[in-house]
Amino acid sequence: MTAPVLPFAAGSVARSTGGRLDLVRQVLQRSNGLVGVVILAAFTVLALVPELFVGPLQTAVTATGPRLGPPSAEFPFGTDELGRSVLNLTVHATRISMVIGLLATIITVGIGAVVGIVSGYVGGRFDAATMRVADFFLVIPTFVLAIILTAIIRDILGTGSKEIAGIRLSLLVIVVVIGITSWSSTARIIRSQTLSLRERTFVDRARVIGASGGHIMRRHILPNVMNLIVANTVLTFAGAILTETTLSFVGLGDPFQPSWGQLLEAARSVGAPGLGAWWYFVPSGAGVVLVVFAFTLLGNALDEVLNPRRRARS
Amino acid sequence: MAARYLARRLVSAGVTILMIVLLNFVLFRMMPGSPERILLGRIPGVTQEVREATKREWGLDKPLFPDQFVAYLSATARGDLGFSYANRGRTVTEVLGQKLGPTLLLFGLGEVIAILLGIALGAYSGWKRGGIIDHVGNGLSLILYATPYFLLGMGLLLLFATGLGWFPTFGMVTAGRAYDGPLDQLADIGAHLALPLATVSLGLLGQYAILMRSSVIETLGEDYVTTARAKGLPEGRILQRHALPNALLPTVTLIAINLGYVVAGAITVEVVFNWPGLGTLTVDALASRDYPILQGVFLLLSVSIVLGNLLADLVYGLLDPRVRT
Repeated sequence: MTAPVLPFAAGSVARSTGGRLDLVRQVLQRSNGLVGVVILAAFTVLALVPELFVGPLQTAVTATGPRLGPPSAEFPFGTDELGRSVLNLTVHATRISMVIGLLATIITVGIGAVVGIVSGYVGGRFDAATMRVADFFLVIPTFVLAIILTAIIRDILGTGSKEIAGIRLSLLVIVVVIGITSWSSTARIIRSQTLSLRERTFVDRARVIGASGGHIMRRHILPNVMNLIVANTVLTFAGAILTETTLSFVGLGDPFQPSWGQLLEAARSVGAPGLGAWWYFVPSGAGVVLVVFAFTLLGNALDEVLNPRRRARS
Repeated sequence: MAARYLARRLVSAGVTILMIVLLNFVLFRMMPGSPERILLGRIPGVTQEVREATKREWGLDKPLFPDQFVAYLSATARGDLGFSYANRGRTVTEVLGQKLGPTLLLFGLGEVIAILLGIALGAYSGWKRGGIIDHVGNGLSLILYATPYFLLGMGLLLLFATGLGWFPTFGMVTAGRAYDGPLDQLADIGAHLALPLATVSLGLLGQYAILMRSSVIETLGEDYVTTARAKGLPEGRILQRHALPNALLPTVTLIAINLGYVVAGAITVEVVFNWPGLGTLTVDALASRDYPILQGVFLLLSVSIVLGNLLADLVYGLLDPRVRT
């Protein structure tokens, strides 16, 4: 080995726009990266324009099918207990699941990146205290905490049928709760990278010419942890969709804006698996599994490209 | 040195438990409604005297901090977690105690099966990297990892209970059945346990296999493995004596750390099969907004996980002298 081993993502990959394009190209050249991107692109299209494929979301009023009818020519995925087309519900749920997942990911990674950079750069007691809290969140069963928090916040706000930007308040509560309970692993990863960047010459140079801490964190640390943030965002997205699905499954979803998890909960509560009504839950279940699987593949591909240690071995 | 390691671990676990209780206290005071009514389980027709007595007992007429928190802390330490809303007049501790057994049975067994199979699968695929078992196993592990536990449960229920009729569809025992003897009863519980147990084991297996696989691959690249190869040791012996023991330690630690994440997600399996444990209790309590029960579940799970982690740390320290610093 001739070159010194640099901590990954701090090296030369993707400093400029050209580098970033190079990153995209390298990810797409890997079979896991390509498969992940194709699956995600398909679901993104469904999430953007569900009406184009299945018309508007059916309700108990506009439902036309039989109750719990098996798949037929008119209803390819059968119908639910109200006579709504399961295909229609599943395609519309794609949007809810993906949007909730995306918003929750933005909050999670946002908190994690800010805490990680500041904590790593400032160091000392502040760092010790925040990492103590981060470790606390890593250990405790955050899912049970999320259940309690969601229930309490909804009771306090009295969510009802309020909407913000077309998303019901009850779902936004879930977004915020996922963010509060899952930032800690991102913060830990970004912090350790920041710790090593802080000791590098270009940071020293900036400090010597009198740059403020805020300036150094924004202009010198942030660009150098950006790749790490991107890789982490992909994996966080998968986790957020799983968490939202599970929270909806235990009864915290919104029947008026059903996500995949909400549909799975509805299927379980009418006893679909026991009645042999596989068509009720297999489509939304496949949606969750495929999207999370695709994010995991993409995350692995990114990790292989960005992490020289893994690249050398694979 | 070992004594200092032990002391540091104990203090750290103690601080974490204190933080859990503090969080529970904050949640309890965030709840809508007056605290003494929450503590009494929202029973109707409570006299003014009883309310005043509760207020005094919990120090609710004194400042939040430190008086009320200290009262809350000492009550928690005594195991007094208040009354359940949904089960009128029953304490939280009583309700939790009743549901703990079935959950321990299901997840204790499930964890053991998943750890053994997952480590075996992961070790083998890491060793025979790029082989058929590795490819199939890795793909399967990734898909299992992407599947929520309850969804896996619904699939197994549909296939093996509804479709093939091999197993009962719900509960822990057949309702109202008279048994010929203890063996007969055990067989009935076993039949009910099979599917939830398979779900929990399969759900956990994927991530344990992934962890073990990358740990084995990492270890096989270490210098001491190259040395062992240079000495001309057979591959099987290198794996057994050099790679596996060193790959096992970080995997077991990661399993312990992930316990909180895993257990909480896995409780949803109980709901699918109507297994009468903590998971079903949690979902029922959520539906009826039985906050004292929810907080009790949170406390019980968190403290068990912290103690489990402490145990893993101590075992790790015993096995690997490098961490005792």
